[in-house]
Amino acid sequence: MERRSRLLASSARGMVWPCLLCSLFLLPPAEATLEQEVFEKVLPNGLKVILLENHRVPLVTFQVVYRVGSRNEEWGKTGLSHMLEHMMFKGTPKVSGSDFSRIVQENGGQHNAFTSQDFTVYFENLSANRVGVAIDLESDRMHNLILREEDFRTERMVVMEERRLRTEDNPKAFLMEQLEATAFQLQPYHWPVIGWMEDIERFTLEDLKAYYRTYYTPSNAFLVVAGDFKKEDLLPQIEKAFGSLPAGPVPDQKRDIDPPQAGERRVYAKREANLPFLVMSYHVPNLKEPDSYVLEVIATLLADGKSSRLYQDLVLEAKVALDVNTGHPLLSHDPGLFMISVEPLPGKEVGEVEEALDRQLDRLSREPVEERELQKAKNQLEASFIFGQDSLFHQGIVLASYEVASDWRRIGDYIPNIRKVSTQDIMRVANRYLIPDNRTVGVLVPLPAKEGKLAPSEPSIKERLVR
Amino acid sequence: MPKSRRILIFSFILSILFLELGMKTTLLFAMPPVKREVLANGLVLLVSEDHSLPSLTLQLLVDAGSRRDPVGEEGLSYLAARGILLGTSRHSLAQINEELDFMGASLEVTTGRDTIVLGLRVLKKDLDRGLDLFMETAMKPSFPVEELQREIQQTIAAIQSEEDVPQAVAEKIFQRTLFSNGPYGHPVVGTKESLSRLTREAALRFYQTYYRPNNAFLTVVGDTTFAEVKAKLAPLQEGWATAQIPEKHFTTQFAKGPEAVKVNRDIAQANVILGNGGISRDNPDFYAVSLMNFILGGAGFGSRLFDEIRVKRGLAYSVVSFLDPGKYPGSFQIVLQTKNASAKEAILISLREVERMQAGLVSEEELKRAKQYTIGSFPLRLDTQTELAAFINQVEYYKLGLKYAEEFPKLIDAVTREEVLRVAKAYLQPQSYILVIVGNLKEAGMAEPSQ
Repeated sequence: MERRSRLLASSARGMVWPCLLCSLFLLPPAEATLEQEVFEKVLPNGLKVILLENHRVPLVTFQVVYRVGSRNEEWGKTGLSHMLEHMMFKGTPKVSGSDFSRIVQENGGQHNAFTSQDFTVYFENLSANRVGVAIDLESDRMHNLILREEDFRTERMVVMEERRLRTEDNPKAFLMEQLEATAFQLQPYHWPVIGWMEDIERFTLEDLKAYYRTYYTPSNAFLVVAGDFKKEDLLPQIEKAFGSLPAGPVPDQKRDIDPPQAGERRVYAKREANLPFLVMSYHVPNLKEPDSYVLEVIATLLADGKSSRLYQDLVLEAKVALDVNTGHPLLSHDPGLFMISVEPLPGKEVGEVEEALDRQLDRLSREPVEERELQKAKNQLEASFIFGQDSLFHQGIVLASYEVASDWRRIGDYIPNIRKVSTQDIMRVANRYLIPDNRTVGVLVPLPAKEGKLAPSEPSIKERLVR
Repeated sequence: MPKSRRILIFSFILSILFLELGMKTTLLFAMPPVKREVLANGLVLLVSEDHSLPSLTLQLLVDAGSRRDPVGEEGLSYLAARGILLGTSRHSLAQINEELDFMGASLEVTTGRDTIVLGLRVLKKDLDRGLDLFMETAMKPSFPVEELQREIQQTIAAIQSEEDVPQAVAEKIFQRTLFSNGPYGHPVVGTKESLSRLTREAALRFYQTYYRPNNAFLTVVGDTTFAEVKAKLAPLQEGWATAQIPEKHFTTQFAKGPEAVKVNRDIAQANVILGNGGISRDNPDFYAVSLMNFILGGAGFGSRLFDEIRVKRGLAYSVVSFLDPGKYPGSFQIVLQTKNASAKEAILISLREVERMQAGLVSEEELKRAKQYTIGSFPLRLDTQTELAAFINQVEYYKLGLKYAEEFPKLIDAVTREEVLRVAKAYLQPQSYILVIVGNLKEAGMAEPSQ
């Protein structure tokens, strides 16, 4: 389990701490210099270019971010953003799909893409002197993608396999899908990023073409480039390749938000599985509300590190859980879910685990956190902030996530806002959000294997395979 | 899970490849300098300075992996490695955890067939305290009985939890089948049965036998100097004594295929692993084999298997081949997941592609791309402190020499199409493979469940 928001946030200091000279003096990391390190320019066609020079290693990460994810989809066509992401590797008149990978690999580069609820990212990581390869390939497919029926039919099968792999045959992922569909009723976080299987089957080539025209435009995209380059050299190359693309329409990004939840909801998922799984989720704001920084600290207090409250209690002392995690959507575009997930140990009841969780949440809302414990959580967040800047790719994704959620400049607010959090804030915010009326509880109920299933540890069908 | 699930990585193939072959296949023109010295007690110290971040990464590699587990005590190496994190003669588990968290540091152990690695990530300002705890953990573990018992129970639970991950189930069966009862054949964590037999005494004995300075390397990457690390280490290592390390050399007896192991599960996909015995890291064919594998299925995008199974036919989201060479020969595997009904077709295509690798030379273009990628992508894999430290330790473990980075492009460049063909013939076995399938066998048209 990942705590993405904090991991993401953790690398933000990269923006303020990349220069080689400052470290010679072992100064504490500087704080307000972000604007000096990151450069932004919006091209006349609306494409925003965000550049971060970082000369630690002779590499570049080149990321194209489209402001489109599952939140932009409609009922009946869920998963369309992700489907289009797959189709983006099928070629243009200039570069065929297979040539795309070939060219990147021949230049010693890695490339890939991913889709989230809020955005879709395409990236190339390569040697600094090959950045032109990424510029050419990405500017080409921003406007010139060829969508063919035959490619689409085959690739849709791939996406269906992906869904089987990620969700159908993964009991925990299946529960998470049910949980979100229960917690969100109105807003598009209701459905999974990969989409419902029935919708994937329903897509048409026309759907994809319309989606590409609507969302894959300079005015709905931005670039993040981080690494070993000089912006005076790089920017003209980017302007030349991307500047001539037509701006395209600015899509309406407004979507409905769920009204406040009026009472606890519960969802059970029954699947063949060995162990149960418990998730408690609470509606919370994103970084646009100051309370979100308090929730960052709470997520850390609860489950970051082996001395954290839940780990200490449920895993080490009460010995009811195999593992416990928290996740906090600081950087989601719309309000998301603060999640606590627990995998109970064999023989332990979900109810027992739930009681232990309730006890800890109750304590959080009633007893002030001691100063040292609060300081510990802040130290953890600050340290991972520094560790996070170790990877260029990670730095780029962090900038992109801030930009999607609000504005990349807000990266600079992260540590100051964390430092501001007080013991009173913790109690207040716990009492406001982490309460039963605001939560959706998801429980994976393991079903025993059906008759005829072989014990996996004793494969008894063993035979010579005749081809 | 809550958050990671929302991001769908287009292809996780590449990450698998890096895990398995990351350091081994590629090298570089830009490796940062490393200073190496053998300390008085035999510990090899390797330091690479990186002053661009106010942090450090320490990795202590000990040649104490699960291949050294005594028969019947599978999981002992794992328990000893996890055990050193459970408290020392000076500090309880709770004290250590509290102190690490207060520094925002992470102290973790990675376990494997050949080696275990104790890793620490710490801010520069906390180096003294971090290094103290790090060495104390490595040198003075107390192996408290109660904590060890909890660790065993947790591990048994984790094994049970893994039964819900079909790919993991398939992998476990493949390893056990291929390596028969050899030292690489059992899971690093042991089995439910073997774990329940483990004792504190056994873990302590294992620890005292193998956790010796002359059986370990310490790599430090980050904001420090060689002199600083050496000076700080000196007082911390008192009493850590050299000892004779027993080494039982073995010759792997790979299972003779063709053999199929099928596990029936009521799931949507057949999880397929197809493979045979592979090579050890010191095999001189390593470079040719790496390129051959890249072309067959290692490349992810653009490999022959990827093109045939995913791009042309849409049969799988993930299809990849890899080798996992160790100190002793590891495996060669093709791993894919496909809807049950397509399992036979995907397996046949995989076998056909393996045979095609043996039937003729790869094209000039294919080999050129494999070489350019392998050489050119090297720096991408050493761009974090953690990756660089792991690489330096591996270079030391396999005695590749600190000039290895410079030599690597030449080693790769020297491989010819004829050699690729030769190693394909030598190391791929499309006639006598091991096949594991975990899936709905009825839907796959592969025999009814027998009960």
